[in-house]
Amino acid sequence: MTEVVRRAQQGDQSAFHELYREHVGRMYALCLRLTGSAAEAEERTQDVFVQAWRKLASFRGESAFSSWLHRLAVNLVLMERRAAGRRWARVAAVEDPAALEQGGEAPSPTLGLDLERAVAALPEGARQVFVLHDVEGYRHEEVGELLGIAAGTSKAQLFRARRLLREKLDL
Amino acid sequence: MTERDDDREFRDLLAAVERLPKSVEPPRDLWPGIEARIAGQGEGGRGRGRILAFPRRWALLPLAAAAALVLLWLGRRGTIRPAGAWEVTRLAGRPLVGETPLDASGALRVGQWLETDDSSRAVILVADIGHVDVKPGTRIRLVRARATDHRLALARGAIFAQVDAPPRLFFVEMPAGVAVDLGCAYALEVDSSGTGLIHVTAGYVELQWSGRRSIVPLGFVARTRPGVGPGVPFTADAPEALRFALEAYDFGNGGAPAVRRALAAARPEDAVSLWHLLSRVEPTLRVAVYERLEALVPPPAGVTRDGLLRLEQRQLDAYWNAIRRIAWRRIILQGVRDIDPRTGLGR
Repeated sequence: MTEVVRRAQQGDQSAFHELYREHVGRMYALCLRLTGSAAEAEERTQDVFVQAWRKLASFRGESAFSSWLHRLAVNLVLMERRAAGRRWARVAAVEDPAALEQGGEAPSPTLGLDLERAVAALPEGARQVFVLHDVEGYRHEEVGELLGIAAGTSKAQLFRARRLLREKLDL
Repeated sequence: MTERDDDREFRDLLAAVERLPKSVEPPRDLWPGIEARIAGQGEGGRGRGRILAFPRRWALLPLAAAAALVLLWLGRRGTIRPAGAWEVTRLAGRPLVGETPLDASGALRVGQWLETDDSSRAVILVADIGHVDVKPGTRIRLVRARATDHRLALARGAIFAQVDAPPRLFFVEMPAGVAVDLGCAYALEVDSSGTGLIHVTAGYVELQWSGRRSIVPLGFVARTRPGVGPGVPFTADAPEALRFALEAYDFGNGGAPAVRRALAAARPEDAVSLWHLLSRVEPTLRVAVYERLEALVPPPAGVTRDGLLRLEQRQLDAYWNAIRRIAWRRIILQGVRDIDPRTGLGR
């Protein structure tokens, strides 16, 4: 465990600020890709660090701090998206069932890269599987566990996501 | 071979994915909002007392040892590193990069070998995620330098690797398998016969070879041999009788007698080893392994005899999680608190 983590665990906010500076880019990238929304990614990134501060006592150095924070962020974003999905599904069921198959909001113009835009526009489930598997390097079994789906479903969603991206990007 | 390697159909797409930045700066500083939210939470809400009560004398030595390397690393982060290459720094003697003697520092490019003789040492900076200390008498090659695949091949010699990154980003290939980083630090040796020996000093490492795998936690050791793959991991202070029995089973065609000797020698501290044996032994021996393991470290709620004997993955995983936590607590608190190796709780 690094000295800065140890100091943050003892309540040192300046140490925690150091950890924030070191990891914010990685966390924001993860949240941005998992949510497909710049605005939501900002919120979730803040949530991740607030949650990390609360749970810092439970970090025992069993893995690297970055791994611990990464897992915390994935769980937090997916949990929030599930809750939001349930709320949205109740509205969409009445207004526009097809909306559930659309991506989230339009990708932010600040995303820049075509691939980032295309990923952001993927349907929710396919995007999450693609980001977790192809970008973040999780295995299908792990993706399945995180998303509460079977490993086979994860494979199917990944194939779908890759095909959609390939078509969109003309690769 | 990874899932990704299997999928050539999307090669161009995956190549584009690998070029995506791992880090994206948010458009505005998010810290003020975070600071405002955590300001009112104080230390009580974070269970500070528990942490302060947790002794960390064990951490001082590795911290001190790492300090010089961290300083070296931080000091060099601003330097320009060629694409497809990692920085390598001479620590002693005259290491060779390819055919060229290394001066103070240089680049190790994909495909190049770094070789140290009996009196030379070097440190390789693994992109921005860690470092590898290359000991004397070592031959090591940079295989891949991608954001999602940092890969070295250790032909012979010894290294110490420390990586701070999400799992499965850093790999070391050996003649007898691959060490997959799961967020950890470890010492790895490969001898002239290609046999590998790993000693994990933080986190976990997965050893893989041809579908066979061992998960090696902090404080554990494992061997891997060409043509056989990784053996059963054992704790560094395992009884000699257990180590010999596992060696005979893994690499000496010891069969059932070796398994029985291992079971007889095993203590609760050796549950990690028995958990690995559970899914490796012949079905006829599985009951004996289960009964010994269950007697040494009782399975957690929800894990059943039938489920384990059928090798149901969820049941194995649940048991593993309980066993690894106990092992971790026992090792991390060694000399500090007396931990019951059956439960992981203080006695």
